[in-house]
Amino acid sequence: MLGCQDFCGYYDWTFHYLRRKFGQEAVHKFWIQAIALDSQSHYAAAGLERGLAGLYDTWVKTGVEEKCDWTFTLDEAKNVLRLDMRECPSKGFLLKNDRNADEDYCDHCIGWIDPALQSIGAEVASHEHNHCGQCWWEMRMKDRPHESLFVDVDIRKDIRWQRGFLDRWREGVALPVLARQAPTDPCDVLRDWFSGTDQLTVLGRGPSALDSWTIGRIGDAVIVTDPTYATHDVYEGEPLGVLIGDRSTQLEAVSERFNKTDPDHRPLLMHMFLPGCPMIDFVSVGLPRPVPILPLLIRHGLYTHQSGLPYPTTGVFALMLAVALSKHITVAGIDLYKHPSGRVYNGEVATYKFTWPNWHSEACETTHISAALTKAGKSVRVHPRLERLLRDA
Amino acid sequence: MSAPDFYFAINATARHILEEYGKDVLIDYWRSLGREYYRGRIVQWREGGAAVIAEDWQQYFLREPNAVVEAAVDGEIVELDIRTCPAIKHLRDSGRVILDCFCEHCDHTCGAMAEAAGYRFERAGGMGSCRQRFVPITHKTMGAI
Repeated sequence: MLGCQDFCGYYDWTFHYLRRKFGQEAVHKFWIQAIALDSQSHYAAAGLERGLAGLYDTWVKTGVEEKCDWTFTLDEAKNVLRLDMRECPSKGFLLKNDRNADEDYCDHCIGWIDPALQSIGAEVASHEHNHCGQCWWEMRMKDRPHESLFVDVDIRKDIRWQRGFLDRWREGVALPVLARQAPTDPCDVLRDWFSGTDQLTVLGRGPSALDSWTIGRIGDAVIVTDPTYATHDVYEGEPLGVLIGDRSTQLEAVSERFNKTDPDHRPLLMHMFLPGCPMIDFVSVGLPRPVPILPLLIRHGLYTHQSGLPYPTTGVFALMLAVALSKHITVAGIDLYKHPSGRVYNGEVATYKFTWPNWHSEACETTHISAALTKAGKSVRVHPRLERLLRDA
Repeated sequence: MSAPDFYFAINATARHILEEYGKDVLIDYWRSLGREYYRGRIVQWREGGAAVIAEDWQQYFLREPNAVVEAAVDGEIVELDIRTCPAIKHLRDSGRVILDCFCEHCDHTCGAMAEAAGYRFERAGGMGSCRQRFVPITHKTMGAI
């Protein structure tokens, strides 16, 4: 049977099923018709009967059943129902169980709550979530004046709020992901950022990133990983994008370089936000929250997260990103830790022995690289060493 | 114990897909869910056989509110005696309209999982209580349950 204990896991999977089969709009339609108007119809019924107080009682009951660590605050005089979520059990299920089937699981809440509220003459006044299980909301009836609440339990005062990336709504309207760009969808942010170039060079940190083949082909628009940005190990210039790895040890150095750079020449910071990895606090080291890349990779069928199984290295994720952006790509510095020099990374002494950590594997790397290159077709130039490694794999 | 209101969403999801896309898509949804989402359980079933399948379901139903289920192994066959289906009970108790084909989600989701693990899925009964069996595909038919 399909039970309620793991519902959140296959709920996320269901979004992905509908999206890949019937497109983006199918998911929004599902949230409205199946969830807001059918599954959660008791919210609208309670709200119709007793307004914000009815919604409050319904949510409190749900909170008890789902063991939500949250605070609901109702102030009818100010026409506001506020929620501060400290640990969302729903998103928490996905993070705990290393699940990430669809582009953005958290979107489902605004996806059903807003239409449910609209159906009873109410609306979302403000909302933000950080994709790590923390969020806050203010809801109001449309026909009366509204005042925001200032509460001690405001989740934005909690250190956990510093993690993740934010989606934000004001007056029921989604706000841009980046202050200087209009898109509200991270996929559009990525497309817009890289729209000024047809050519992208993806540089891993392997020794081939600095050999004569690469030097002769490296372009102006480069994507590097965070250690390269921090140390200039294989690239001295200003990259167009920096993909920060899931276990970065270079955040402070990245922050130092980033903040010393003129804002007009700063790279776009990006991150995978993989569910099974500890979520990084970028804000505390002075960095803006990076733009997530998984939504774009999932939308293009370039990545399927497999719970508990190895995932690609950051360099391979950068390659998949370039392919998803449909650029002419040059890729080098991905040597699968098998460079004949015996060096794993440039500038390091020869180790001659590399042991894959549990969370990566050579098979995972070659599978993802091959799939990405197949999708890219003739628009990619691959370092001959990597080509040979893939042929031999 | 998990929140039983999620059964509302399971019922509503099936209704939405049926009404919007038709029965073939609903069946494909259920079967794909079994094959893809439950890939990990399938691997365990395939490797562990009947005892593991029975234990998996026993533990699964223990975490479903108000479920009354007995899982047993008879030779190579797993038998589930579902005396109280927690989903149907909660939907009924809450006055929800239950989709006519709601019980078929077991046939298709469990069926797809069973097939991938080398078993055939059988169900007799439904809408509140039923008997389910996981029979090795190589096993001779034992007759109707």
